[in-house]
Amino acid sequence: MTSLHQPQPGGATALDRVRGRAPTIQANVRRLAAFANVHSCPTAAVAFAARVDTNKVLADTSMEMPYGQSPFAIGRGVAFEALLRRHGHAELRRVLTDGLGTDFSYAAIENLREGFQPNRAGLTMRARVTSSRMAEIAEGPQEPVVLDGAVLRADIGGLPGFFEADEMAIGVGGQIIVGENKSWPVVDGRPTDEDALGAALDQAATYVLMGRRTLEQQGVDSACMSDSVVLVTPRNTGLAPALHRQDVASRIRRIERLLGAVPDVQETAASTPPSVTFDTIADTTLPETVRLDAFGQVTDELGRVYEPASCLTSCGFAWACRQRLFADGDPALVGGSIARALPGIASLSRVAELGQGAPASPAEAPAAVPLARANRLYDEIAAVPRMTQRRTA
Amino acid sequence: MSTAMEALFAARIYAEGQALRRTTLRHVHLADPPLAIAVWRLGGERFRAAAIAWGPLDGPFQLAVPGEPRNRDLYFAALQPFAADLCARVRRAAVSREVRQRGSVIEAVPTDALQIVVPNRATVSALGLLGRYLAYLSDRGGVAPDPVLVEAGRHLRFYARNARVPGQALLLPLDRLVADHWATLLSPFEQANLAALDAQIEPEPGRHPFDASAAAEVSARIGPEPTEDIDRVTGALLAEFNAARSSSTDPAVVEPLAQPLRSHYRDLVEPVWQLMQRVVARERQLTAAPSVSRRFSADGEAFGRHVDWVIPGGYYRTTDTPRQAAITLRRLEDALAHYEADRAVEDPACMIPYLLDGDAIRGTVASVAETKVVVKVRAVSRAVIAVDSPDPVTLPGGKLLWWTATAADQPWQVESVQPNGTGSRVVLMLTAKPTAERLPAVGNVITLSTLCTGRSGFWLLPPVEPPWTHRPDVALLEGEPIDAGDSEQPVAAVDGATVPDPGRYT
Repeated sequence: MTSLHQPQPGGATALDRVRGRAPTIQANVRRLAAFANVHSCPTAAVAFAARVDTNKVLADTSMEMPYGQSPFAIGRGVAFEALLRRHGHAELRRVLTDGLGTDFSYAAIENLREGFQPNRAGLTMRARVTSSRMAEIAEGPQEPVVLDGAVLRADIGGLPGFFEADEMAIGVGGQIIVGENKSWPVVDGRPTDEDALGAALDQAATYVLMGRRTLEQQGVDSACMSDSVVLVTPRNTGLAPALHRQDVASRIRRIERLLGAVPDVQETAASTPPSVTFDTIADTTLPETVRLDAFGQVTDELGRVYEPASCLTSCGFAWACRQRLFADGDPALVGGSIARALPGIASLSRVAELGQGAPASPAEAPAAVPLARANRLYDEIAAVPRMTQRRTA
Repeated sequence: MSTAMEALFAARIYAEGQALRRTTLRHVHLADPPLAIAVWRLGGERFRAAAIAWGPLDGPFQLAVPGEPRNRDLYFAALQPFAADLCARVRRAAVSREVRQRGSVIEAVPTDALQIVVPNRATVSALGLLGRYLAYLSDRGGVAPDPVLVEAGRHLRFYARNARVPGQALLLPLDRLVADHWATLLSPFEQANLAALDAQIEPEPGRHPFDASAAAEVSARIGPEPTEDIDRVTGALLAEFNAARSSSTDPAVVEPLAQPLRSHYRDLVEPVWQLMQRVVARERQLTAAPSVSRRFSADGEAFGRHVDWVIPGGYYRTTDTPRQAAITLRRLEDALAHYEADRAVEDPACMIPYLLDGDAIRGTVASVAETKVVVKVRAVSRAVIAVDSPDPVTLPGGKLLWWTATAADQPWQVESVQPNGTGSRVVLMLTAKPTAERLPAVGNVITLSTLCTGRSGFWLLPPVEPPWTHRPDVALLEGEPIDAGDSEQPVAAVDGATVPDPGRYT
């Protein structure tokens, strides 16, 4: 069981210094999912511990990554949620009744998004209400209950955070089922975006895990949290909602492992060199070169682990890291699998030299032989036509 | 793909500042010209093409912009010319046929199926969804939908589903075409951006491919999913359009009002069209591999069957039965194995990874001899060759290898592998009667690999009644219209800055 506690003042001070005036972000389940993709990167770990918003630190530089969203996509999501809540949650009741086989017509639906302040105090209150309602539901009330906008408080790497679920649909017999609303459509029983489905199920699985921990803290048997979750999505071309139930037991186990791998904030703070700060990098009044140089110094000092697919989709530092790797000629530029196949070889320039038959050091020897052979074969038998004309600017 | 080869490619591109060809031949058919399609959707709206550009790639494109794509009448009115043109082209392509007999089956196969090229794989998915939407339209208010839309939908569904077949060329996403034929510094994830790929291959003079592709990532917009900046402009123009038309769908009213939106999307499509033209022209310079015509002929068979089924009014299932799914998977795996074998056998550059991974040997024929071996009860003649490889070879005795010159024929069996200087001498025996075509000459440099391009006999189809383990719990969904929601009032665009947690709607 994870205990809830505030970071020690010393750690907080160190992380305040690391953060500086860089934009911050509150922990949420998407931030957690994004960090899970890059958790092996020391720079990302320090930024996560300091709650630095990596998507905004490099704002107004050429390395700022586009994370904006189409207003139509946001409008669709907002409209879908509004549809579910309209007329006393009539659509949500209908879809839960149809999908879960229990009559939700008279279910008590408690909207925790209303009546609470939109700040940390409000989230704390919502988390308390969620926690007590979950304990009540575990006792098995007569009527089904739905918590709309349930908030779970959880400790990630020693850092407490609030995580807001869309719904927690409570079925009969005291079983708690996590629900997520997504506005992408399902057609013929299949999602129109498999990646989005995977991300949604990961989110829901995270809520299940946090819900279990919340129950355990109250001494309630966490087995009442179901391994299966529900997704409510539009069906076909309109916004008419449909419910899909999916078992996420394996995802829960994976997320539990990932959360266990999140570095402890105190340890991260203690091990971060005093010179490391995101303050200069985020300072938009400074010239871009100064900010990017500062970024280079920070990542050089902390270390970086670059995996193109996971970094480019999950971390706002990805373009800047990629640029540094290119400047250094780091083999990781084209992916970790290539870099791992080149033990003892520090740069792409050296790989090219070894390919051309340069003498290899003992450390380089295992990788040098296949490289030299690949280069010889390519030059000998491929007789590959080269680009002879370049496009004019 | 061999990691040594990939590492070498990356290192040489980095050092030389130039992308490298993975192949010496082109392994995909390219029509002259293909029909090209580019699509832009509204953000989050999977079924709404806010703009479709189409036309033969060697000329200018036609552009369909409905204005408000979430209005069924406007949407279908705008799609109609595209649908009509697509249907006409498909029908024309299906007219000229040649008779082909395979066993007792005689088929009239179109001689030149219609090829469509699109910028990327995301557009393939977009066309597939659009096809699903249009293929099963319901009557609305007692008015039957325009049959040309329904027919176009079925064509698009067919093309999108067929695009899963490895090596097919009916619907060709150009990002995959380029990534399959060029080595760049882009990871597979980054290769989904056609502009970045193109910039790596032909950077501006004096610019390293890496810098060129990084700049292209920032500036290029390919579609079909719009970025925030595009949809901000679209949102403003669309609001003006909707306000001005006052719910009218009269073409006389709407046409002039849609001009700003049309201009907006024309500006977006122009660079994409030029990019596709440049990519196709560059890849066409390469000689087509011998197996390309055979694969496109197989595409023609699939195209012909599709046309013969759909034009008279045939429907496809929207959900495969377990049996169909098993057969499809088997066919896709079979097609992939044959495609990879064809590439490597015909193209020495594609054979290098197999040589590096120990799945192929290359060397000089040191001797050719005949011997007698007893097969079952009779002594038969067999050829034995010794191949001297300059590289060390590790292969178990009994391993079957196919000579690339006769890769569709009988294999050679490894008899022994002995050290020979810094390399190895490999002795192999032909597993069939030695004929002149099957034997290399002494002194020839030959390649033998585990890849066979011959057809691998018949495979048993799954039982008509699947076992209980493969029967779904619920009945399969029938093909049904999915357009009930397209009469809903379009939802308003929402600025991300005005909602507390815009990331929720990612």
